[in-house]
Amino acid sequence: MVRVSGLSYRYPGSESWVLRDMHFEADAGEFILLVGPSGCGKSTFARVLNGLIPHFYGGELLGEVEVCGMDPREHPTYEFAECVGFVFQNPENQLFFTSVERELAFGLENLGLPREEISRRVEQALREYQLAELRDRSPYELSGGQQQRLAIASVMVMQPRVLVLDEPTANLDPFTAARILALVRRKTIEEGVAAIVIEHRLEVALPFATRMVVMVDGQVVDDGHPVEVIARQKHIVGKPRALELVEHLAREGIYLEVEKPSPEHVALSIVRAYRVRKLAERRRRRDSS
Amino acid sequence: MPSDEDVAIRVRDLYYTYPGGVEALKGVNLEVYHGEVLAIMGENGAGKTTLVKHFNGILKPSRGQVLVKGIDTRHASVAELSRIVGFVFQNPDHQLFADTVYEEVAFALRNFGYPEHVVENRVRWALNLMDLWKYRSKSPFSLSVGERKRLTIASVLAYDPEIIVLDEPTAGQDYHQKEKISEIVRLLRLMNKTVVMVTHDVEFVTEHVDRVAIMAKGRIIATGPPQKELCDMQLLREARLVAPQLVKLSLILRKHGLLNELEYERRADKLALKLTEVLKGGADGGSPGL
Amino acid sequence: MEALQAFRFKRENTVIDRADPRARVLLSLSLAALSLYAQSVEKQLLIISTVLVVAAVARRLRKLAGVMKAALPLSAIIFILNWLFGPQADPVQPLVLALRFLALSTSLSLFFMTTSPDELSLLLESMRLPREYSMLVTMSFRFVPTLALDVEAVMHALQSRGLELERGGFTKRAKNYLYLMVPLIVYEVRRSLMAAEALEARGFGSPRRPTRYQELHAKASDYFFIILLALYIVLFLVL
Repeated sequence: MVRVSGLSYRYPGSESWVLRDMHFEADAGEFILLVGPSGCGKSTFARVLNGLIPHFYGGELLGEVEVCGMDPREHPTYEFAECVGFVFQNPENQLFFTSVERELAFGLENLGLPREEISRRVEQALREYQLAELRDRSPYELSGGQQQRLAIASVMVMQPRVLVLDEPTANLDPFTAARILALVRRKTIEEGVAAIVIEHRLEVALPFATRMVVMVDGQVVDDGHPVEVIARQKHIVGKPRALELVEHLAREGIYLEVEKPSPEHVALSIVRAYRVRKLAERRRRRDSS
Repeated sequence: MPSDEDVAIRVRDLYYTYPGGVEALKGVNLEVYHGEVLAIMGENGAGKTTLVKHFNGILKPSRGQVLVKGIDTRHASVAELSRIVGFVFQNPDHQLFADTVYEEVAFALRNFGYPEHVVENRVRWALNLMDLWKYRSKSPFSLSVGERKRLTIASVLAYDPEIIVLDEPTAGQDYHQKEKISEIVRLLRLMNKTVVMVTHDVEFVTEHVDRVAIMAKGRIIATGPPQKELCDMQLLREARLVAPQLVKLSLILRKHGLLNELEYERRADKLALKLTEVLKGGADGGSPGL
Repeated sequence: MEALQAFRFKRENTVIDRADPRARVLLSLSLAALSLYAQSVEKQLLIISTVLVVAAVARRLRKLAGVMKAALPLSAIIFILNWLFGPQADPVQPLVLALRFLALSTSLSLFFMTTSPDELSLLLESMRLPREYSMLVTMSFRFVPTLALDVEAVMHALQSRGLELERGGFTKRAKNYLYLMVPLIVYEVRRSLMAAEALEARGFGSPRRPTRYQELHAKASDYFFIILLALYIVLFLVL
């Protein structure tokens, strides 16, 4: 659904290229974690995917870009709104109305859908995102987690194929952050949405990622399975403690198979390794007796 | 029993209700000791930021008392208390206004009435410390996000307050920026500052903090060293906090009989050594666990 | 500051709130027009009492009383100035003017107290105002509490660096408040750019005609209400 090749971009009036010769692909059902040091161009790249670049920001965009079959240079931002949902970091600045219901309907109004269809989707979203009791509330009356849930719902109600989230949990505590990301993961599984999530807190986001992409200075420096990418790029992106443990154990000669980078999975693989050894030991003693 | 000289901030039976009617603090008692690094933790809405805003007088108690080095905060203005308690806000953009980075840091020093040559020395020292001296003539708005954060820290360190409050110092920071913040906290400790940080970052806390105060629904429900408090799963659940990764891991290993300790090991390399013994020891027929 | 509170909407469930906002705006505007027309003290008092009665039905009497209290000083000034510089030392005309001021401010605030920003924008759209402008109104209301928090945040941030806003003489403090301007303006400009981005990302600005999800529908009770209002106006003018 997203095909990017040789992408380079610079802001208007700027000498330096913020994005340089990027290659990137995303398919249905993926939860791609996009990481990299501040200023590496992640947010800029995210905005290419829904046409904000080049339309809102101007500047020079080179290379091949195809999102939902459209090139952002040839289609205005509102045409991308049907297919690409963008959730920004600060929920305050993406909620415009004084009632949750109106907020949910807004994007659909812009798409020109008939009123019955809007009503149906709004009611469904209120149920699905647990916003039903809050339908008349103003965003000011909602908690940070509720606001971000509403922001995601307002975007998902437009039924996009691609979901881009630019540090969606920055202002949330880790508990709420995990719930929000779990919600996004569910959407990738249930509806085959391709999600691209920019996040700094690896411990929170890793359990949900199917793929990890690392950017440095406007270029993609790594792309692949989260556990493997971290092993290669830990000096850039940091390393969650559970994976650090795996590394130290490897140095002592104990190699673990970890499919998912969460502490629970690492713990269970240690237990498995222990049981395997105990079994082998028992067999050895039985054979020798 | 710690004497009065050891206590930098004393919070006595503090209640606070916001003008809209929400009671954010419901009888908080806390002592912050000189030279310690204290973390105040809890979910959003538990009252952490409300509590620390009482430390430099931004908020005044609805009921109860807050004493900063013996001064009742109700009888002092924020500007006056800020000489003792330096507050580093989460969002640097709420305070940047000067033409140059230099002016930005000089602002507080001039407000406190320091003579110009002292201002010059202090500004240079603070900017060098935060690796920002090279930007001294540039506009604060031209700096990157991480640099602006360091600028606000420099602005506070410049006038050398005894107590420093950090509001979510690692929020939104990338890996390198977090390392820098770690260095800064270590430095503050060397400078014998009293540091209070409001944070969710359990991993950061286990590395840098002497004591944690855990809050839930407007009350402090536990205080103690992080090694002890952050493995109490019941407590963490009540406060809606996520346990540190190694704690989660250790608890699962304990359930399966691989570990027997009550206090968790917070360093990955040490834990790896322990586990190596268990795994290799188990393979040689030795008893499992330690 | 308390006077501004009165213009803030809070949800209630009374007959007045359930009425169509067009009926309510007609009520407020009619009362205001009658006040401008009427020349006697009794008629002004009648209007003010009508406002109070409606406020009572809407359970907002205390709020309205707050508005009156806030308007009283200015009203008194109007009375005094007109009395001193009036043609004769006749207190009646100045009193009418003073009461008129009270009547106007209370009847208009009655509307804003009972109408949510969303209803207001629907009202404007029903009067053929383009969607962009009605959204402007709604968004302004929506962001007012947010802006108030921003002002507070900037104040606290600067106070924490020694800016004295609580002590000292009036001029010194007023000068100090000026320091809030730059960070506040920069912050709000940034905020509005972010909001603009988000609006575009949600498909705003397409040449396609947007659906109007919510529309105003007058009920039988609203027509009844209007007839009642017409009756009142007739009686008012005749008596």
